[in-house]
Amino acid sequence: MMPLLRLDGVSRVYRTGGGMFGRGSLVRAVDRVSLDVAPGQTLGIVGESGCGKSTTGRLALGLEAPDEGSVRFRDAPLPAPGTAPWRAMRRDMQLVFQDPLGALDRRLTIAAQIAEPLDIHGIGGKSERQDRVAALLRDVGLRPDQAAQHPHELSGGQRQRAVLARALATDPALLVCDEPISALDVSIQAQVVNMLADIQAARGVALVFISHDLKVVRQVSHDVAVMYLGRVVERGDPDIVFATPAHPYTQALISAVPVPGHRQRARIVLQGEPPNPANRPTGCAFHPRCPQAMPRCAAEDPAVTTLPDGRAVACHLAETPSRIAA
Amino acid sequence: MTHNLVTIRGLGVAFNGVPALRGIDLDVGKGEAVGLVGESGSGKSVTWLAALGLLPATAKVSGSVTLGHEELLGAPPARLDAVRGGRIAMIFQDPVSALNPVHRIGKQIEEALRLHRGITGAAARAEAIRLLEQVGIPDPRRRIDIFPHEMSGGQNQRVVIAMALAGQPELLVADEPTTALDATIQAQILDLLRRLRAETGMALVLISHDLGVVADMCDRVGVTYAGRIVEQAPADRLFAAPAHPYTAGLLAALPELDGPRRRLAAIPGFVPEPWAMPPGCAFAPRCPIASALCDAGPPPRASIGDGHEVACLQPSTPGVFAAASTPMTVRA
Repeated sequence: MMPLLRLDGVSRVYRTGGGMFGRGSLVRAVDRVSLDVAPGQTLGIVGESGCGKSTTGRLALGLEAPDEGSVRFRDAPLPAPGTAPWRAMRRDMQLVFQDPLGALDRRLTIAAQIAEPLDIHGIGGKSERQDRVAALLRDVGLRPDQAAQHPHELSGGQRQRAVLARALATDPALLVCDEPISALDVSIQAQVVNMLADIQAARGVALVFISHDLKVVRQVSHDVAVMYLGRVVERGDPDIVFATPAHPYTQALISAVPVPGHRQRARIVLQGEPPNPANRPTGCAFHPRCPQAMPRCAAEDPAVTTLPDGRAVACHLAETPSRIAA
Repeated sequence: MTHNLVTIRGLGVAFNGVPALRGIDLDVGKGEAVGLVGESGSGKSVTWLAALGLLPATAKVSGSVTLGHEELLGAPPARLDAVRGGRIAMIFQDPVSALNPVHRIGKQIEEALRLHRGITGAAARAEAIRLLEQVGIPDPRRRIDIFPHEMSGGQNQRVVIAMALAGQPELLVADEPTTALDATIQAQILDLLRRLRAETGMALVLISHDLGVVADMCDRVGVTYAGRIVEQAPADRLFAAPAHPYTAGLLAALPELDGPRRRLAAIPGFVPEPWAMPPGCAFAPRCPIASALCDAGPPPRASIGDGHEVACLQPSTPGVFAAASTPMTVRA
């Protein structure tokens, strides 16, 4: 099946520091990332802060243009950001972020905000728009009387529902969700996760779900990518990736998740911290922290290897599969 | 219970007449690790801010908090100053705002040493280096003279922990100490707290919204909901056999890292606002097994054996949420 969205070797390079006379340094926030999203499916992207997962989401939406590589949506290149064709296409792809209060206008009612994309894209007449807003409120589990309320009158979970209703107003084919439930309490997170699954089943919308929470990503994704320092280090079926991680970084990340009832699991505690992207280690960027690093890892950048189970792994150990630690 | 370090009884806090805590009873034994879990606004942090006299004057605090035989509520400021950072230290989620950005980290630790242990000069500097080493700051002799902004969030949290250790506390209250940190750094800090507890024998109160973190670190866990502790038990028992429907619901709402994926059992509805509390059990409007009796008044806390206490009229029906395959509706 043709992917809905395809990122082909995209990089995003920022220049930092430097000031007036200095030259600064180049930071590869996203480095030759290739990913695709099938229609109606969810791609999960996990990784720690600074790994490039949010920038990847912005590249996918065309909010930023890649410095290398290409982004194709429905097999056509993304128009340049800010142009009329790009604005028209944004109808089909929407963004949801972590902080719903920041994403909503405090002075407008919930109904007015949900109707806004319909006004911008000129969808439907006045009464049709009202009907659509009512249907959207119902789809995200808000009560009809909440349409007339302002953001401060809703709880955090209800605000995130309102943000989702607005994102769904134009019936997009793709929704990029950047940490959509991280600001919510545990009992509310489960409600929103279930709602996303229901909306996907009903509308066939594809999701890019960006999160640091591995458990939630496994729950919602059909395909998962693990990022470290701007690169995808492992990618595949979430059930396989989380059960038998192949990349030593994925192994450490999964072992770091505390799970109730699994006290004193053998845990891999990594030494040190993720390096500064402006000062990328040679060879494999993970090698200074990797418990399984070999001399070769400091010298040679690992190529992406495809394992028999369909996973893609960028690690020298994966090139000789018998050496992957279980 | 004669070996309690801290005993909290009937602790209540109200802000502008709106109750935030509605009678907290909690014991912390010497050297014990106690976890407090609950959602935002449930009172897990306010409990300790009130106990240490850190709330603004507009907060009305009632009840009793004793440290050994000393009552802390209403104690003179000079006494509280000696307790805070001395016998009881508290650390918070955001290490950057806990450190002074214009002072070198060594100076900040030396200040804590001077205040709480009367150590000054070269002795203070030597002790600060030892503390930095103890919390795992590499090359402490050199790093003692850097500023907070020169370090990462994880390193800053280590410095904050070093400052907390400066007063040789008998109890460390850690309020969401790893929430702002990445997963692999969280694992490092939890590892550090575990090691420090073994080395110093200090008690730990770990406040967290993350049930996994608390399960991993604590001997005993209290679950807070709407300003009360609704269940309290040894950690292994609480997570294996939760008796309060809210605890059971929280556990069932968590996605899992392995095994088959299933639809999450979400708790319907949301936490009641403090100014619109239900008449009886605060969880009743969201509870799948609530009956008319639950609205009669707040359910009393009762022991169900082995140090397990629960404030529910129909405790323990394991799987009450997990087994519910039919959609649950919220009672109006």
